[in-house]
Amino acid sequence: MKINEIRNELLGEMYYDIDHPSGLKILIMPKTGYASTYAIFATKYGSIDTMIEMKDGSFREIPEGTAHFLEHKLFESEDLDAFERFAKTGASANAYTSFDRTGYLFSCSANFRQNLEILLDFVQNPYFTQATVEKEQGIIGQEIDMYKDIPDWEVMFNCLRNMYHNLPVRIDIAGTQESIAQITADMLYDCYNNFYNLNNMVLAVAGNTTVEEVLEVADAVLKPVEGKMAQRKIIEEPREVISDYCEKKLSVATPQFMLGFKEEWDTPERTAKEEITMEILLDMIAGPSTDLYKRLFDANLINSNCGFEYFTGFGYSCVLFAGESNDPKKVSEEIKKEIKHFRENGFDEKVFERTKKKLYGRMIMGMNDVDGLANNMALSYFAGENIFTDFETYKTVTVEDINDMLNKTLDEKYSTLSVIMPN
Amino acid sequence: MHFENIADGVRLCAQSTDKFKTCRINISMAMPLDLNVSARAILPFILQRRCAKYPDYIMLSRVLDELYGASVSAGVIKRGETQIISFSLTAIDDRFALDGDTVALKCVQLLCDMIFDPLTDGDSFPADIVEQEKRLLVEMIENEMNDKRRYALMRCEEIMFKDEAYGINRLGTVENVKALTPEAVYRTWQEVLREAVVQITMVGSMDVEPVAAILREHFSSIKREPASLSTKFIGKKGEPEYVCEEMPIKQGKLVMGLRTGMKDEDTNTVPMRIAVDIFGGGTYSKLFSVVREKMSLCYYCSAAFFSSKGVVMVQSGIEDINEEKAKNEILNQLSLVAQGDFSDDVFSSSIKSLTDSVISNNDTPESICAWYATQLLRDKLKTPEEYVGEIQSVERQQVIEAAKTIKLDTIFMLKSNGEAADDED
Repeated sequence: MKINEIRNELLGEMYYDIDHPSGLKILIMPKTGYASTYAIFATKYGSIDTMIEMKDGSFREIPEGTAHFLEHKLFESEDLDAFERFAKTGASANAYTSFDRTGYLFSCSANFRQNLEILLDFVQNPYFTQATVEKEQGIIGQEIDMYKDIPDWEVMFNCLRNMYHNLPVRIDIAGTQESIAQITADMLYDCYNNFYNLNNMVLAVAGNTTVEEVLEVADAVLKPVEGKMAQRKIIEEPREVISDYCEKKLSVATPQFMLGFKEEWDTPERTAKEEITMEILLDMIAGPSTDLYKRLFDANLINSNCGFEYFTGFGYSCVLFAGESNDPKKVSEEIKKEIKHFRENGFDEKVFERTKKKLYGRMIMGMNDVDGLANNMALSYFAGENIFTDFETYKTVTVEDINDMLNKTLDEKYSTLSVIMPN
Repeated sequence: MHFENIADGVRLCAQSTDKFKTCRINISMAMPLDLNVSARAILPFILQRRCAKYPDYIMLSRVLDELYGASVSAGVIKRGETQIISFSLTAIDDRFALDGDTVALKCVQLLCDMIFDPLTDGDSFPADIVEQEKRLLVEMIENEMNDKRRYALMRCEEIMFKDEAYGINRLGTVENVKALTPEAVYRTWQEVLREAVVQITMVGSMDVEPVAAILREHFSSIKREPASLSTKFIGKKGEPEYVCEEMPIKQGKLVMGLRTGMKDEDTNTVPMRIAVDIFGGGTYSKLFSVVREKMSLCYYCSAAFFSSKGVVMVQSGIEDINEEKAKNEILNQLSLVAQGDFSDDVFSSSIKSLTDSVISNNDTPESICAWYATQLLRDKLKTPEEYVGEIQSVERQQVIEAAKTIKLDTIFMLKSNGEAADDED
């Protein structure tokens, strides 16, 4: 078994990167002085994976929302379900499904070993029946309806639906009432067997534990599997957005907006450097210390509930600006004007240095909590990096990189504005 | 943990530790929840965005960027019948500052500049700034309806506590905010400095003494007259009230407000917490395991205990047609807890789970600060370990007795009016 130590001297942090013989990647960061431990067992399977690869290499379509449905159902077993098992230890257990991964997790301040056993065991032992699948359709149906009333969620999915013709990032993570009605127990087994292969997964643990403790449990509970990575299908997507504006009415007080800029790249995933460069770029265009922010704020066009995100994953990347405004179209115009201004004039070196200093501080501030650390270890691993990569990479970003990035992205020809109006 | 009274009604509570990579400071100021809530609610926002030294929020924002992205946030909460306004600051720990720079003390100084040396215009705040902050606060109040789960809870509280101070919204009303004048807000600022019960909680590796010295100096110039703050605990009288409202929404929101019969915050509070947890807390609870898992009625159904007022609020998102079914089952499950119809395993799960989450509070600077800040009205602060000791000494019978005293007071149902737009695709 290969055990690597990944260190960062300045932060005074290290963690172990282990290739377990079962095929699973295990990442462990022991933290002294902490009472709690957080563990996440995740697979590279999310709502964008709507195609399963068959034995002959062809792909078969599965209903929208299957990854999320499977996440709910994996907690069940023939005898005690996972929640009942965790109830005996006092741990707080949960799970989530995002666009590109599913994670099962717990945090605890006692009985860590027992909790880890439960986590590894229940995720490796699916138990689906037609009766339990039907029961879950009621619960998830209510989850879907709940999201339909959440304006932040709707404004985002309307924006994505208006930007992407084909990419599954446009579909709701939980699917629809109609799509989840098609899910069967057999289908869940097919998806499980395809995506829940240890080679497609990672276990990340941070907190009050040791390598020995984690490995003892892993050695006892993990069942070695044949080496097979689930393949993601590359889906063709036109360059253009579907339309440049969409509007929906919901019960809100102030209109909400999301302005998206669709990008096109030669490779399906963005590198750490591209992501950090974009983060700095966006903070310099629209962050709370910018002229644009002051202008919009003083003109009563935004309130403090606004922000931006570089939204990227396998096959998709776009920039999203969001907020609340009585005049979303005006805000959108102002943002585009500011982008044009910087495209023509470039950025100030001093502002760039200040923004980098802020980023440095924010990266350090994000390294306190065991849940954040474990999630970051898992995420960085899936991205082919480690949690200190950003810390090293940000130093290499120059103001030229920022200008280059701006020239390649934020093209208003490929933008769309999604608005939720009060009804 | 270092405790010190730095002025009359002002307590400093500091944990020196290098466990974290940050320093965090929270300043919480408590006043009665009364008809002047809006003037106090606007204050932390006026103060956190500017000060005499940095009169413009962009300027202040840039100063924070230079302090390695230090972040300041303002908050207003209701706890029992007190309104607590707060300022929280997080910055990197001094050991990560570049070129021998120091951050923590500069941040404390900056926070004091905001609170004690604001941008003023004579005996008033500048009128344009107050106008801008009024606009923002009005939007904040109006936008509380966007989150239907929270909105339904808020409506239920308004109805249930219409004759008590607890029914006052922590931010006040849109009309209250619109009526604020710069002079009145300025007078309220002086009143808060003089009368609020204050707690400053600090977690980080910096020395406590220099920070305490700065704070002592600022408070020494104020003639302190701390307010006396209390909350009325009222038991259920008469029949439960039922109110139903309609909105263009997809999913109905059911809120049930219950009273525990507690006489004050400290009597019987731990057995009550366990009773409410068994009723509607963790995944082992009655509401999760029966109403969600067995009956598939909802995605969430849970009960929250507000010890500061002795009330329990049950919340669930359901289809409108299931309202009766859900209400009956929720009450049935409560009566089962009161009859002792729960296993020893569930009782022990609840104790373990509460213990685990209380102990975990020690592991983030935010939760340490919040743990002590919410106790600002106590003479003696409890550590998480002391509280765990109390949880673990509770007997099963005490939980049953506590559950027996919980009585339904008000039901609020937010229903669909049938006009929620469906998706195009």
